[in-house]
Amino acid sequence: MRRRRTFGLAAFGAAAAIALAACSSGGSSSSTNPASSPGVTGFNAAVTSVVNPSTTKGGTISFGNSSAPDSTDPGNTYYAYMWNFTRLYVMPLMTYKSCPGQCGLQVVPDLATGPGVVSDNGLTWTYHIQPDVKFEDGTTVTSQDVKYAVERTFDRGLFPLGPNYFAGLLGGNAAKYPGPYKDKSSKDKMGLTAVDTPDATTIVFHLAKPFADFDYVAAIPQTAPVPPNKDTGANYQLHPVSTGPYMFQSYQLNKQLTLVPNPNWKASTDPNAKQLASKITMTMNMNANDIDSRLLAGDLQVDAAGTGVQAAARSKILSTPTLKATSDDPLAGFTWFAAINTTLAPLNNVHCRMAIEYAASKTNYQDAYGGPIGGAIASNVAPPNLVGYKAFDLYGATTDPGGNVAKAKAELQACGQPNGFTTGITYRSDRPKEVAAAQALQASLSQVGIKTSLHGFPTSTYSGNFAGVPKYVAQHNIGISFYGWAADWPDGYGFFFYIAHGKAISPAGNTNQSQLNDPVVNNLLDKMTNTTDAATRNSYTSQIDMQIMKDAAILPGVWAKSLLYRGTSLTNVYVQSYYGMYNYAVLGVKS
Amino acid sequence: MITFIIRRLIGTVFLLIVVSMITFAIFFLLPRLAGQNTYQLATQYVGRNPTREAILQVEQQLGLADPLYLQYGRFLRSIVLGAHYNSGTGSTYCPPPCFGYSFRSQQPVWPQMVSDLPVTISLAIGASVLWLVGGVSIGVISALRRGSFFDRFSMGVALAGVSLPIFFTGLIALELFSYKWPIFPNVTYVSFTTNPLLWARNLVLPWIVLAFLYAALYARLTRAGMLETMSEDYIRTARAKGLPERTVIVKHGLRSALTPIVTIFGMDLGLLLGGAIITEVTFSLHGLGLFTVMAIQNQDLPEILGVTMLAAFFIVIANLVVDIFYAVLDPRVRY
Repeated sequence: MRRRRTFGLAAFGAAAAIALAACSSGGSSSSTNPASSPGVTGFNAAVTSVVNPSTTKGGTISFGNSSAPDSTDPGNTYYAYMWNFTRLYVMPLMTYKSCPGQCGLQVVPDLATGPGVVSDNGLTWTYHIQPDVKFEDGTTVTSQDVKYAVERTFDRGLFPLGPNYFAGLLGGNAAKYPGPYKDKSSKDKMGLTAVDTPDATTIVFHLAKPFADFDYVAAIPQTAPVPPNKDTGANYQLHPVSTGPYMFQSYQLNKQLTLVPNPNWKASTDPNAKQLASKITMTMNMNANDIDSRLLAGDLQVDAAGTGVQAAARSKILSTPTLKATSDDPLAGFTWFAAINTTLAPLNNVHCRMAIEYAASKTNYQDAYGGPIGGAIASNVAPPNLVGYKAFDLYGATTDPGGNVAKAKAELQACGQPNGFTTGITYRSDRPKEVAAAQALQASLSQVGIKTSLHGFPTSTYSGNFAGVPKYVAQHNIGISFYGWAADWPDGYGFFFYIAHGKAISPAGNTNQSQLNDPVVNNLLDKMTNTTDAATRNSYTSQIDMQIMKDAAILPGVWAKSLLYRGTSLTNVYVQSYYGMYNYAVLGVKS
Repeated sequence: MITFIIRRLIGTVFLLIVVSMITFAIFFLLPRLAGQNTYQLATQYVGRNPTREAILQVEQQLGLADPLYLQYGRFLRSIVLGAHYNSGTGSTYCPPPCFGYSFRSQQPVWPQMVSDLPVTISLAIGASVLWLVGGVSIGVISALRRGSFFDRFSMGVALAGVSLPIFFTGLIALELFSYKWPIFPNVTYVSFTTNPLLWARNLVLPWIVLAFLYAALYARLTRAGMLETMSEDYIRTARAKGLPERTVIVKHGLRSALTPIVTIFGMDLGLLLGGAIITEVTFSLHGLGLFTVMAIQNQDLPEILGVTMLAAFFIVIANLVVDIFYAVLDPRVRY
């Protein structure tokens, strides 16, 4: 699935020293304070450990943001950093376990008392919510507040920015439900028949088809409760009613947001968050380089976007041992790749596609993305921080990263094109790294006789008008399209459906730019929706990955990494694997 | 003079109406003439990657299917009386002058611009005082001491000021005086009413950086004007009459040389009040300039339209003030 990220933003981290302790910060349970190794410090310390574990309260955490949130309304946001940041003021039904390392990919209950109870052959998912969670004004959260929150997401005119899973997954009248503001059939604004609330603490979702990943969908901030009598529609973003550890104190739209502790939040109900700081601020629309400089100077503690520092700061950090020791370079969850058109001659022959796989220089691809700091060479499509990931390397990406001309030529021979062929490459012209990667690939392919023409388009129209329009790519002989993907939830279905399932091919805005329609891949993805056993379901991830690579439908480039700088005054700092950035819900600051 | 001012004010109102017609035509008429239908036009009002439902909602709310004269009437009425926009649970009132509603951020444009105005005004006025005083003074002294070390040095510095872009001098200033030697740390706008000292301290660096560019221009302009004026016959006559040199320079020389300075100052200040874009972006100051940059990046047409109208207003008013000031400055000018 698609998760949007902001671009060109600096991220930073927290200070280095690790003193370990059994954490008992703010009354949270031990699940959010895993023991960290004593004395662990230095570069990448926060990728696998908690840096500066502490229960100290007080202080202000200042976030800098080089853009503004798409929305602070939890029902209307799609940026990874905002899904992270909203955990400070809302509690969705489910969330990701707050811990460093791979355990951060686990989806666990948040507002709910447990994962969904599945019945009716996978068509019904029942959640029970905690009975004593309160909104910031002291009123108790009920299941109807959760239902109302889900209903709001159906009004795509008013809330167009968030994901649209509920409309596609739910049964009942979901296909035609217009949202609570336009629904004339129900006076109490509870007109969505696909969701029942038999009592104040029970919510039942009726699906149109079985969908084993529904717990992940329940972890999207759109399930955070919204009290109908406090909903202000488009203006709700100015002050969402809090259920999290912090609440809005003030928000100047697109300028500055200030959060203060929510007096009606209880740590016992929310073990995946902490309430340590006295104030949290986010200043928006800042100069990205200015953010980096303020991070290094200590005037800011966190770069909200979490996508890494800019080039100038990166050079400074990597060349200064003390600065490098207080930074981390985690996997961001993105794979940058080139989709190879499986329908366009001669690329409809798998051997011609394999020729591209062998010819491409992965080293040059990685250099385009900033070298090893910018990304790890990808030998397969799934990034390592995906549940069910298994490493394999069919085309020598790691053993022969400069490319293998001999093997490429052998594949060209096998597909009947011994002298190569001609095709086009598309890329997003406003992304310098992608431009460089496209140029690098062009150079690699020319060595084996594959002549390519480069076609750059702005990101805003790339999928809608060009690379994502099968008719356009066919008419213009576009055989290779640069793209990238991150999972909306970290399992195989969440990552692969939109880039590999035949059903995802669409006439415009197409995300399956390879136009792959392999029955093996399709069947495995379909099986994932019906398989409730997690181990079995997750085993399909590597099988799908392997089949896509056997089809040579995608040329994986790099698994993106972000160089984050840890603010030296931050406490409880670690990388939440799902977000690929620091976990904002548990941060504190040294007084 | 009073008659002149009243005539100009009436003319200004007509001019602003013409500006509104031209702006409306650019944003609503030209796209239609270029072949866009109402759906395509509505797409431009919802920011990047809009949903079909969002576009249809905008199409309906803006009444894009109505005749153009009705749309213009609604546009003018909203500027004068305000307008209401659907917020789901009710409606959001866009107070006058309602320059539109940002469907991307789902808030009226004018209140956002109003909250940015004090930043831009503080930046523009503070820098303008610095560059006017500094630039004119240096220009006068350079002209009076033509060929001296001061003249050569100051004109050399002025050349640097004109040549170096603001994003360069700004970043250097921040690196040295905010991060390396935190004399002016954490440059953030604090309103004058909240803390005047902090307001001034946080704006010193942006003022100096912005003023450096303009002071250089004004120094060179003043020097050229003074050199020309001081060689006039009436200056020699004034000296021959026995007037003190200071009176000759200030009352007779500088006053004449200031006419082109005033003209340019009015234009520069008017433009700056529409947003000192590069300075605000460099120092992360949330003024109209940064607002404009974000509006363009986000392809938010209502915000771009709002900024266009406001910038035009400032330029028109600045020109009016300049024209009035001419009559004060130069007794020969009478309307």
